[in-house]
Amino acid sequence: MQKSKFLPRGRKDRTMVLVDIRETKSAKAADIFLQVRPGKDFELITILRALIKDRQVSDQAIAETGLTREVIDDLIRRMKGAKFGCVFFGMGLSMTRGKHMNSAALLTLAAEMNAFTKFVAMPMRGHGNVTGADVIMRWQTGYPFGISFSRGYPRYNPGEFSTVDVLVRGDCDAAFIIGADPGATMPQPAIDHLKRIPTIVLDPHVTHTSKLSRVHITTAPQGIAAPGTAYRMDELPMPLKPALKSPYPSDEEVVRRINEAIAKKPFWLPDGSQPQMLNAQV
Amino acid sequence: MELQVINNATCTFCGCVCDDIQLHHDDVRIHKANKACVLGTAWFLNHTAEKKYPDALIDGREATLDEAIEAAANFLYEADMPLVYGMSNTTCEAQKECVALADQLGGLLDSHTSL
Ligand code: SF4
Repeated sequence: MQKSKFLPRGRKDRTMVLVDIRETKSAKAADIFLQVRPGKDFELITILRALIKDRQVSDQAIAETGLTREVIDDLIRRMKGAKFGCVFFGMGLSMTRGKHMNSAALLTLAAEMNAFTKFVAMPMRGHGNVTGADVIMRWQTGYPFGISFSRGYPRYNPGEFSTVDVLVRGDCDAAFIIGADPGATMPQPAIDHLKRIPTIVLDPHVTHTSKLSRVHITTAPQGIAAPGTAYRMDELPMPLKPALKSPYPSDEEVVRRINEAIAKKPFWLPDGSQPQMLNAQV
Repeated sequence: MELQVINNATCTFCGCVCDDIQLHHDDVRIHKANKACVLGTAWFLNHTAEKKYPDALIDGREATLDEAIEAAANFLYEADMPLVYGMSNTTCEAQKECVALADQLGGLLDSHTSL
């Protein structure tokens, strides 16, 4: 691992604490492993938030999380003693009981830790350029995901406009899927709805979702045959260096051409006029 | 065929987006991906420049790109509440077009992040 001016001994100068409901393979790589009770993430984070500010927390509340007071006190001592702390969090936190509120609590904890030392929080990403999707949507609409333009301006409400919920409730009546394969990953009711409505898929492969779609368009794989930009997990934009030439068009080109084809039709407002909410600044 | 080398190439298979990969490639395939992890190496080596799939499919039948674009535009235009979803395995430039698409349609826009 990287050695630096402030951490001359590399890994030995760093402490990794793993928090999980079961002992995974990552536990071997960690210095400390904390086994928390399933569904008690929000409670644990809230206890940490209270204890870093020296508030009273009852033994019973601590026992509920599956950890002991000694372990939590030690964790807080290490967190406050660190020169630079980083919390990495994943879907185990954001997709279990409490969902968005868990993430919100964790981000608040990271913010509050800055009263003592430098502290940040970073979501662990699944596939490819998800970080870029966040950044681009924030830049263009002000929100990172779960957006509706149905009133002509962007509104944000995860739970209402997030895809799984929309599909399970059967709200949408067409779907445009790009660079994702919900047909392989989403719950069955969501997949059933994708089958009922016209689904359009852009992908370098014929995927599970392509098989249940009305339209599939093959595109060049990004980074291998399609140029462009992708964001690294720490939100640094990286240029892609495609090594191969693809017989297929890039995603960018296909979506732009679909946009142009739709722009030729009258707009959906009653008089057919089109307000331009978002002006892409390039 | 001559082998070419690209230094500091970017891997976009997983969310880490490593940016220090060394690729050895010819016109058809990538032969070596130095510094990439197991997943990244498999991703680089499995893609070729060959044409493995049809340009487009409409209702499971092969179609041309122009027909598919027209069909996609029609389906999305006729919908009252279209959903634009995904955007993980694609470039920022394409993502920006997707935002414009959802805006123009008055639809929903969402990424993998909400999962
Ligand atoms: S090389 Fe491995 S860790 Fe790095 S982006 Fe590719 S798949 Fe992810």
